[in-house]
Amino acid sequence: MEWAVFATIAIPIGTCLLLMLVPYRHEEQVRYLAVPKLGPLPDRLPVSGRYLVRYLCLLSGTALFALSLLIFVAYQFEDGGYRFELRLDWLRDVAFLGDNGISFHLAVNGITAPLILLTGIVIFTGVFISWNIDYRNKDYFVLLFLLVSGVYGVFASLDLFWFFFWYEVAVLPMYFLIAIWGASTNFGSFVRTKEYGALKLVLYLVAGSVLIFIGIFATFVEAGLGTFDLPALATVAYDETFQKIFFPFFMLGFGVLAGLWPFHTWSPDGHVAAPTAVSMLHAGVLMKLGAFGILQVGMALMPEGAHFWAPVLMTLGVTGALYGAVSALAQTDLKYMVGYSSVSHMGYVIMGLASMHEIGISGAVLQMFAHGVMTALMFTNVGALYDQAHVRDMTIFGGLAQRMPRHAAYWAAAGLSSLGLPGLAGFVAEVLIFIGVFKAGYPWAGALGILAAAITATYILRMLARAYFGPFNERWSFLKEMRLGEQFGGAVLVFFLVLVGMWPFPFIERISASVKNLPGITQ
Amino acid sequence: MVGMEHAWLLPTLPFGAFVLLLLLGPYLPRRGDWLAVGAVAASFVLYAFMLADLLGALDEGPFAGVASGIDWLRFGTFHVTLGFLFDQLSAVMLAVVTFVGTLIFLYSTGYMKGDPRYGWFFAAMSLFVASMATLVLADNLLLLYAAWEGVGFCSFLLIGFWHERRSAAEAAKKAFITTRIGDVGFLIGIVLLWREAGTFNLKEIFEFAEAGGYSREYLTLAVLLLFAGAVGKSAQFPLHVWLPDAMEGPTPVSALIHAATMVVAGVYLVARTMPLFDLADPVALHVVTALGLTTVLMSATIGLVATDIKRVVAYSTLNSLGLMMVALGSRDVTAAMFYLFVHGFFKALLFMAAGNVIHATDRQEVTQLGGLAAKMPQTAAAFGVGVLSMAALIPFSGFWAKDAILHGVSEHQNAAVTALVAFSAFLTAVYMARLYILTFTGRPRDHHAYEHAHEAPPVMLLPVLALAAISVVAGFWAFDGVGEALGFPGSIGKFVFFEEPVELKFPSAIAVASIVSVVAGLAVAGWAWWGEARPAQLLAQRFRPVYQLLWHKYYIDEAYQWVIDRIVLALGRAIAWFDRVVVNDTGVDGTAGLAAFSGFELKFLQTGRLPNYALAIAAGALVAAAVVLAVRV
Amino acid sequence: MIPIQHFLVLGAILFALGVYGVLARRSAVLILMSVELMLQAVSINFVAFAAYLAPQEFRGLIFAIFVITVAAAEVGLALAIVLRLFRNRATANVDEVDTLRW
Repeated sequence: MEWAVFATIAIPIGTCLLLMLVPYRHEEQVRYLAVPKLGPLPDRLPVSGRYLVRYLCLLSGTALFALSLLIFVAYQFEDGGYRFELRLDWLRDVAFLGDNGISFHLAVNGITAPLILLTGIVIFTGVFISWNIDYRNKDYFVLLFLLVSGVYGVFASLDLFWFFFWYEVAVLPMYFLIAIWGASTNFGSFVRTKEYGALKLVLYLVAGSVLIFIGIFATFVEAGLGTFDLPALATVAYDETFQKIFFPFFMLGFGVLAGLWPFHTWSPDGHVAAPTAVSMLHAGVLMKLGAFGILQVGMALMPEGAHFWAPVLMTLGVTGALYGAVSALAQTDLKYMVGYSSVSHMGYVIMGLASMHEIGISGAVLQMFAHGVMTALMFTNVGALYDQAHVRDMTIFGGLAQRMPRHAAYWAAAGLSSLGLPGLAGFVAEVLIFIGVFKAGYPWAGALGILAAAITATYILRMLARAYFGPFNERWSFLKEMRLGEQFGGAVLVFFLVLVGMWPFPFIERISASVKNLPGITQ
Repeated sequence: MVGMEHAWLLPTLPFGAFVLLLLLGPYLPRRGDWLAVGAVAASFVLYAFMLADLLGALDEGPFAGVASGIDWLRFGTFHVTLGFLFDQLSAVMLAVVTFVGTLIFLYSTGYMKGDPRYGWFFAAMSLFVASMATLVLADNLLLLYAAWEGVGFCSFLLIGFWHERRSAAEAAKKAFITTRIGDVGFLIGIVLLWREAGTFNLKEIFEFAEAGGYSREYLTLAVLLLFAGAVGKSAQFPLHVWLPDAMEGPTPVSALIHAATMVVAGVYLVARTMPLFDLADPVALHVVTALGLTTVLMSATIGLVATDIKRVVAYSTLNSLGLMMVALGSRDVTAAMFYLFVHGFFKALLFMAAGNVIHATDRQEVTQLGGLAAKMPQTAAAFGVGVLSMAALIPFSGFWAKDAILHGVSEHQNAAVTALVAFSAFLTAVYMARLYILTFTGRPRDHHAYEHAHEAPPVMLLPVLALAAISVVAGFWAFDGVGEALGFPGSIGKFVFFEEPVELKFPSAIAVASIVSVVAGLAVAGWAWWGEARPAQLLAQRFRPVYQLLWHKYYIDEAYQWVIDRIVLALGRAIAWFDRVVVNDTGVDGTAGLAAFSGFELKFLQTGRLPNYALAIAAGALVAAAVVLAVRV
Repeated sequence: MIPIQHFLVLGAILFALGVYGVLARRSAVLILMSVELMLQAVSINFVAFAAYLAPQEFRGLIFAIFVITVAAAEVGLALAIVLRLFRNRATANVDEVDTLRW
């Protein structure tokens, strides 16, 4: 199975390379071929370059989805340890590096298995959602798949050097994806350009990586093992003062990507500016990298530091959950509403992590999955509407459910999962988080979190009532039902929402087995 | 042989119908309504078998219900087992859910005929029945909560069934959010109970509580939070505002969800967790009584002036729910469940009969109705039975149940509470009689509607008549003889009780007081509204402020609207503004701006002149040398 | 033997002259020559220290040779720049050449 884990990284990169070879012309006048010697390929191919790109991506996305599903299903171990381990030496015995040095070390455990599955789902549906992108779609997909390889790399890497490397690979293509394919928005009193969103997002995340980088090197030096190998570093008992000083580097550095309040403002602006599939990947998967990093690196290496900072993390998480929900209440732009709801839901994840309790952390990991699927569905919906209407202001719509019933149903599914309706994924995750938080001795935080879920209900239903119900606004009579590709992608996402909501057992079983092994958590 | 161990099948049948209708609905003949009706009827049959099984078990001695479950989640020490529990309490509740449910489904095939979303209606209704059955059968709080939210969601779907109407969409939203506010407390309460006991299972929690596992204050807080959920779902003051608006839904929905089943879930919850209320500080039950009584009086007085036929019935539902809560506040589970049982029949009857009127005339305002008894005699008669049951006139079923409550209240509460409850019985009689008089007697006020009115088709009439018959006789279960004849151990008091079997008594003092107040109420209504009578209008003009207060429903909706507009949304806008202006534009863009500004200012240091640079280098070297020397010395 | 201070004072004087020249002169050629003076001052120091501290080794001398080499390369490059500058601007006055600024 090691090959499957390796392939999740290799396939997207391979796809990038293959895509670069696809003969393609961006503008009518300019015609260039990536492989000039093969002659005028487009004439020999049955499809145009544009479609060749799409089919290649569909193939690759399907393969990634199948592999992710395979890894998830195949990972079934009671002890929750790392499996499917692959280790290739990369640098060793040089300068300050010891025997192990830096190695290309991949493995999967119960926490990463669902997240890998999530990535597979989101990129698979993302290809369908991006099907209609016409402007330079080759470049778009190259960057998208590069990003995905980074995401897989982060989830599977057990070497901090490569972890950081893939982390950056996952973040940086975002700049081009947003700045080139994004959309600027004029809010009347102020304008948010796509360049602004892209720049802010990347600067923020790079600032976070600086903190992470410092943290990684401090750990490397403190451990004195001459290796970046995560399991090896985790065997060291670090000095308590050291942990207390350096845990915040991981907490805040990764926290930025997790949308930790008050470092969240890149997220709504970034989501709004980004094209649909990028928003899906971004809110659905990338933000999870942050929370995953706090768990995988911060809490695993520095349990005492995590314990010391847990109340702060909990406070920030609750603040984010409430603050995001209340902010979403005031938004009229659909994408901003979803963006703030992401801040709110990532607040739950942070709360679960900060509980340092087995159930809470398991709930947090499940919430990463649930929110990833749910928010991907939400962005699919916003995108489907925006592509046709070219506006996202919910107040000017009305009665869309009559015109686009399936679209409305998808919205309802995503929204209801987000407000924690039993039977959908959000409920299971949120209840586990609340239970963990209560058990860990933060009843006030749990109560406020439950209140935030009620506020979520308010903004979701307010949006549905405004835009989708009520009398039909004839101005929108040109709108049609979602494209078939979008419907299919939405159906896949809804399927997983219902699956986790009804039968969370396979997920929780894997997650909790690995969470139990984390140092310093209570049971 | 099917028996109690097949309880899981009961929700599964309608749920299966839901899934099939959702996937195949448009392709089935008649849009698959027969599937939904069949599933609900089958669950009623299954229920009958389960009941027979239960009664057999009861004969063999003390019985506490049969539970079965599956592991849903498992952590080291933390199990969540989802199980179904069938005992007397769930049996009474399920009787209403499955039997009334079947009749209402049948009725809906007539009422909803020709609706463009006919199939979807039955799908959502099936999902509702599945959720409701799960709620009733749940043996643990987590599953109960899940089903609780499920019925709330179905209620949302069905209130907003005609979502192209702005008012329906708003009412659906209001209903969901209002109940959700109560559910915040409910979920916190559940987690609090779990936190100490380590289980969601109701029986284990009761045992844990009886063993003194919770401190008294902790338990009081927890049950009050549970009660918050009941307040939302059972529409008690101050979260009652959603129920009248919920009448925007189709009438069968109002009959099933907002009269017979879902809204009594709160009552059921309190009855279910009565052992906890009993162990908690008495203040918990006082709160139950107080809110119940407030709801009773408020709804009864508003009912006096409301003009929408469905809304008046909705206020009568609030009235009944409050009454049940008062009974529970007096620890009288039997009376509450008895009332719940008969209420399910006569309230569904009232709604369905009102539905016939609406169906026939396309009018809902009583100011546009009148004299319909001539046109639709059977509906009028059935509605009359419902009115008298609701008004609790002897020997209609409402009388026995309400007297049981009055008896319980008089034994456990002080005289003031008893008097207020008795007074509410008078008010109930007044506004129910008013509703009947204005709708079915006198001269038609809207001739166009009157001309078109006609008796309902059989499929809509028969369920109404059946319910009318049951509403007359259901109350006789208060007698041991009737109960034994039906195979029960005796009266309902010997079937459903808290701690020990209850002998239902109807002391003459209370019975007489009740009958007098009801008759007085009917008489007052006749005096005020019958025929060409004018007293009502005169009173309304005379006491205009009071009338206005009632007409505006005590201004509670307005108050909430004000709070939402001025406080909640303002807070949202303030935070959004804070996020954009302070966090983003100042904190984030400000930092970026500072960097850009310092860069702009500092760039002037680059003169481009070689001597300047050389001087800077020389000065720097001197300073460095000086520092090195100073440090060395 | 001549005390080392003599060499050091000579080096310091040459270096100070060089600094003065770089700071005060306008002509690019003269500035270059002043830079050369500074470099030679450093070379003198190297050689002196080498002779007095470790006469058996040649580290200081090697450094001096390095300095001479680098200086030669630098002059070659710098004079070329000055030449181009003079061709373009008809001046070798560095005060008049301040295009490379904000």
